[in-house]
Amino acid sequence: MAHQAHAYHMVDPSPWPLTGAVAALLMTSGLAIWMHFHTTTLMSLGLVLLLLTMYQWWRDIIREGTFQGHHTPPVQKGLRYGMILFITSEVFFFLGFFWAFYHSSLAPTPELGGCWPPTGITTLNPFEVPLLNTAVLLASGVTVTWAHHSIMEGQRKQAIQSLTLTILLGFYFTALQAMEYYEAPFTIADGVYGSTFFVATGFHGLHVIIGSTFLAICLLRQAQYHFTSDHHFGFEAAAWYWHFVDVVWLFLYISIYWWGS
Amino acid sequence: MAAFGRFSQMLLRSSLTQTRRQLSAAAGHGGDSAKTWKILSFVVALPGVAVCMLNTFLKEQEHSHDAPPEFVPYTHLRIRTKRFPWGDGNKTLFHNSHVNALPDGYEGHD
Repeated sequence: MAHQAHAYHMVDPSPWPLTGAVAALLMTSGLAIWMHFHTTTLMSLGLVLLLLTMYQWWRDIIREGTFQGHHTPPVQKGLRYGMILFITSEVFFFLGFFWAFYHSSLAPTPELGGCWPPTGITTLNPFEVPLLNTAVLLASGVTVTWAHHSIMEGQRKQAIQSLTLTILLGFYFTALQAMEYYEAPFTIADGVYGSTFFVATGFHGLHVIIGSTFLAICLLRQAQYHFTSDHHFGFEAAAWYWHFVDVVWLFLYISIYWWGS
Repeated sequence: MAAFGRFSQMLLRSSLTQTRRQLSAAAGHGGDSAKTWKILSFVVALPGVAVCMLNTFLKEQEHSHDAPPEFVPYTHLRIRTKRFPWGDGNKTLFHNSHVNALPDGYEGHD
């Protein structure tokens, strides 16, 4: 049996980076084909390949870490750096959309009526559903912290309860936002107001769905005894991502919903 | 006035964030911090959500009978530079005929 004289993880060759790259190619070109030739086949194929890639790649990481013990402290440190860098890149992604929003709203053009909100736009009342959404996400930040402490203290049942509650709050937010999107008196096609509103909140909503999914995977893993009281980085990464989603919402709420109304 | 109450609740939560950092930075110290966060969840966080739910429900009832905004054919709204790749190409993804007018006006006034 081969041994290594270091604590790092030399990963076995894997096909998933390639299938992921192919998926990205098919989704992007598929999107262009859909726009011009009205068929969704290529894009759907790309989406299926993406889902298969994610499932199998992350399944392999769980096997390597939880079952085979490859995630030693230095390896875990690298994973922490990785997640922090990824979240940082997402912060910059959202910064772009906030830049677009402030660019258009701080100096509204004559075409919009020289005012913000533009003439003819009926904004949403920030103290109705948007305020409820804020309370829901803040509450989920509290419950996910409860979950973290439960895991650290080896409280299995409490960890499952609090994690479930967090995920339910995430679903509730998504349901409320979907309803808001349907009931809004303005659409994405309503000039720069509609564009900035729906692109910024839309990408945020996508991140809520991603974060909720990540937490749901953690719930399944917690139920299957993957996490120990001092090694549960998958959960910590999910919790960091969830707090990031919460903070982005706070900025969205203050800027677009409240100041921009 | 109600807004101020909500805002101070948000500020209270951010001071909780700092408390949480202190507690998690010294994992193991205060071995019952899970209990603390459980209490915060059920006494502060979830009741806060419940109050906001009530507030939303009451406000929605208040103006459930309002008519949709009047239609004015502004050129800077309802932009249709390219057809949407679904349906008749004229309706947005979350189109709601009760509150979203098309470029020519509301559909059939329902």
